[in-house]
Amino acid sequence: MPAATLPEVRPGGTLTVGLSYDLDTLNVYATGFLGDVEAAVVEGLVAPDQQAKYRPVLATMVPTVGNGGIALDPDGRMHVTYHLRSGVRWQDGMPFTAADVKYTWEAVRDPAFLAESKDGSEDIESIDTPDDLTVVVNYRHNNAAFASTLFTFGILPRHLLQGHDLNHDPYNTRPIGTGPFKVREFRRGEYVVLDRNPDYWQHDAEGRRLPYLDRIVFRIVPDSNTLGTLIRAGEIGLAPLIPYMLAKQLQGAHGIEIVRGPSLGWEHLDFSFKGAPALRDLVVRRAIAQAIDRRILVRAAGGFPLPIRSVVVPTLTGLYDPTVAVLAYDPVQANRLLDDAGYARGSDGIRSWHGHRLSFGITAQTGQIDDEIAEQIIIAELRVIGIQLSADNKTGISFRQARYRGTYDLLYGRWVTAADPVYSVFYGTRGPNNGQGYASAELDEAMRRLETEMHPEQRRRDAASMQAILARDLPTIPLLSTVSVNAKSNRLRGYVPNPTNMTDFVGVATWWLWPVTIPVAALRGGAP
Amino acid sequence: MSPAYLLRQLLGVIPLLLAISLILFTVVHLAPGGPLDVYADNPSVTPAALDHIRRAYGLDQPVPLQYLMWLRSMVVGDWGFSIRTGRPVLAEIGDRLPATLLLGGSAMLLALLLALPVGVLTALHRSSRLDHVLTLLSFSGISVPVFWLALMMQLLFSILLGWLPAAGYTTFGDASLVDRMEHLAMPAIVLSLATAAGWSRFLRSSLLDVLRQDYIRTAFAKGQTVRGMLLHHALRNALVPLVTVISLDLASIISGAVITETIFAWPGIGRLFIESMDGRDYPVLMGLMMTGSLALVLANLAADIAYAVIDPRIRFG
Repeated sequence: MPAATLPEVRPGGTLTVGLSYDLDTLNVYATGFLGDVEAAVVEGLVAPDQQAKYRPVLATMVPTVGNGGIALDPDGRMHVTYHLRSGVRWQDGMPFTAADVKYTWEAVRDPAFLAESKDGSEDIESIDTPDDLTVVVNYRHNNAAFASTLFTFGILPRHLLQGHDLNHDPYNTRPIGTGPFKVREFRRGEYVVLDRNPDYWQHDAEGRRLPYLDRIVFRIVPDSNTLGTLIRAGEIGLAPLIPYMLAKQLQGAHGIEIVRGPSLGWEHLDFSFKGAPALRDLVVRRAIAQAIDRRILVRAAGGFPLPIRSVVVPTLTGLYDPTVAVLAYDPVQANRLLDDAGYARGSDGIRSWHGHRLSFGITAQTGQIDDEIAEQIIIAELRVIGIQLSADNKTGISFRQARYRGTYDLLYGRWVTAADPVYSVFYGTRGPNNGQGYASAELDEAMRRLETEMHPEQRRRDAASMQAILARDLPTIPLLSTVSVNAKSNRLRGYVPNPTNMTDFVGVATWWLWPVTIPVAALRGGAP
Repeated sequence: MSPAYLLRQLLGVIPLLLAISLILFTVVHLAPGGPLDVYADNPSVTPAALDHIRRAYGLDQPVPLQYLMWLRSMVVGDWGFSIRTGRPVLAEIGDRLPATLLLGGSAMLLALLLALPVGVLTALHRSSRLDHVLTLLSFSGISVPVFWLALMMQLLFSILLGWLPAAGYTTFGDASLVDRMEHLAMPAIVLSLATAAGWSRFLRSSLLDVLRQDYIRTAFAKGQTVRGMLLHHALRNALVPLVTVISLDLASIISGAVITETIFAWPGIGRLFIESMDGRDYPVLMGLMMTGSLALVLANLAADIAYAVIDPRIRFG
């Protein structure tokens, strides 16, 4: 990973980060959150960079079919070989070896370990470690998304954990990794302090040992208004992934920069096929799609997100089909569609057909201010075409339960994928996240091809056919591509958001702090 | 008050707590969703793994049986493990309790220091300009939303003046008393204002009641000063009903102040409750609610005792 070679890099200093969630555990495999803190402490074999492309970390290269790192058997099995970096040590001084990689797989797939993420561990049949620096992972099937899972999240130290109960081990509050920072103190509900790992293996282009920062303090700040106050008061230097509304308020504030980044997330309106019969009528779904003006949604969100036409976000250049059909905003046409299909307006302006009133609930997650605003706009827009929506918002678990059981009419929500996205979990007939009850054998087949195909050109074609089927059947209306919006002090340099679920902190080793606040004008001029 | 009376009261708490725990357990399990729903976000958690987790936490058992299992371990002092963090429930609560007690305790003290003089002044100078002004302020205190007041104070003292830290419990690396007080100031003031306003109104009306009594008139007739009358006769009697209110509020300290703790990023019980509720972390929820119930029951007991101390006419036992 090439480091910033700017001449003005000043090592040292403490960066304070505001986290909007209360941490549960610091074990990457057990946490219910994206591992912001963990990404600075624990490293994987490879990691996605700022363009969502994989780069080697503890491995010396990213295995591909082209470089011989991936061997495909005629019977469909796949063997992935990682060559490990030599001389890497755990933060307690023990050497990092292939045995740790093998142990990580064994620990994660162990049914006794109550992991939040066992991604990929089931697809592996065995792991060979011919020597200390070589790992051969034998998969049961071809798996195009192999890099998004297990060994990317992080490697667990075998010498500390073997034989332990991972559910209750102190490791979960004080993880030991190979990364640029080590955990100094974790105060629940308050903060986590990370100190520079003085023996970190990575150097910058000028031979200086990384990381540049001396210390990172993650402060837990659950209220987004307070987060805004803290960054304005200079008490925190970085607030990643803030709501659009907050970013709008902070724009232009002294010493604060809003950094946008691409994200692999998207916002969508889903229909449940398990409830109201009218929502199973494609005509109604098409009319709804034509009644929503994405530009208004963008404007209401402070101009940050981008309108999209497909569940594959444009950031995924290898899979996105820019020619996929999209129903343009046209309320006149939407009204005509419903008129023609016999959905006549009643005295109150709401349509119905054979006793089925077009009156539904729309569900969003309570407290997700940006989603709640979008929801209000959609309610107003559908009223124009004679469809009545009423907000039926839910918190936490209740929202998730409604989403996974399909106990809603319409749902405004977000998904985010890894750099190698798997869509069958959302739209597959048996997809675990498909609570909508949408089922299409044709789509299942397209997604199966996409997820087992290893050749880029064919993958692009498979992805296009998947996108075409979704655009035709409209089980979901893709509306906005989520943009990651981050607020930072303009003293923080070298920070570039990471679009994947590996969080920005996977690149934290090369961040550094300018010693004093720089006037924004000077920043724009280039030289501080 | 005899020791036998106290013992009887304390023993009476046990069936009460049992009944409370049964009701709470039922209510918590009636809420939609369960702790394993968080895993549903992750497609890679296999049904087999979920089954394993379910069995590990006894979630596969019928709810009445789960209650009995929970009760059995509670009796021997094992409060179970948090499903969210995998840590012992007692450790989770123990980590958060000091912050909540500090905030709640200081807010109560502050409220008392405010409410007593305001209540007395408004009662003594009924219908005066002072009474009107303080009444207006009290009602503002009661009606201003906590979150709004908190935001305004943060804006003023942290952003504009830069005097106080906007949020947090301590500054990392600074364990000084001054640092602690700086962090405590705003949340304690915000939390105390609404309480103080309510208490002062309560004290005012209760004092007005007492001032109309014959014995007060007699005291004045015998040449007692206002100050002496207040200290020797009126205040003591007027405080009796206030003790009930204060004792109930005292118990709520243990349950934390959700909004204040969230806005000021205070690592207390209130926030733990919300997180546990959102995650349907049954063991932690039960632990928190039982702690709260116990505090309430004990506070009531303490109020009974306080009555007897303040008012010699009240005798139990």
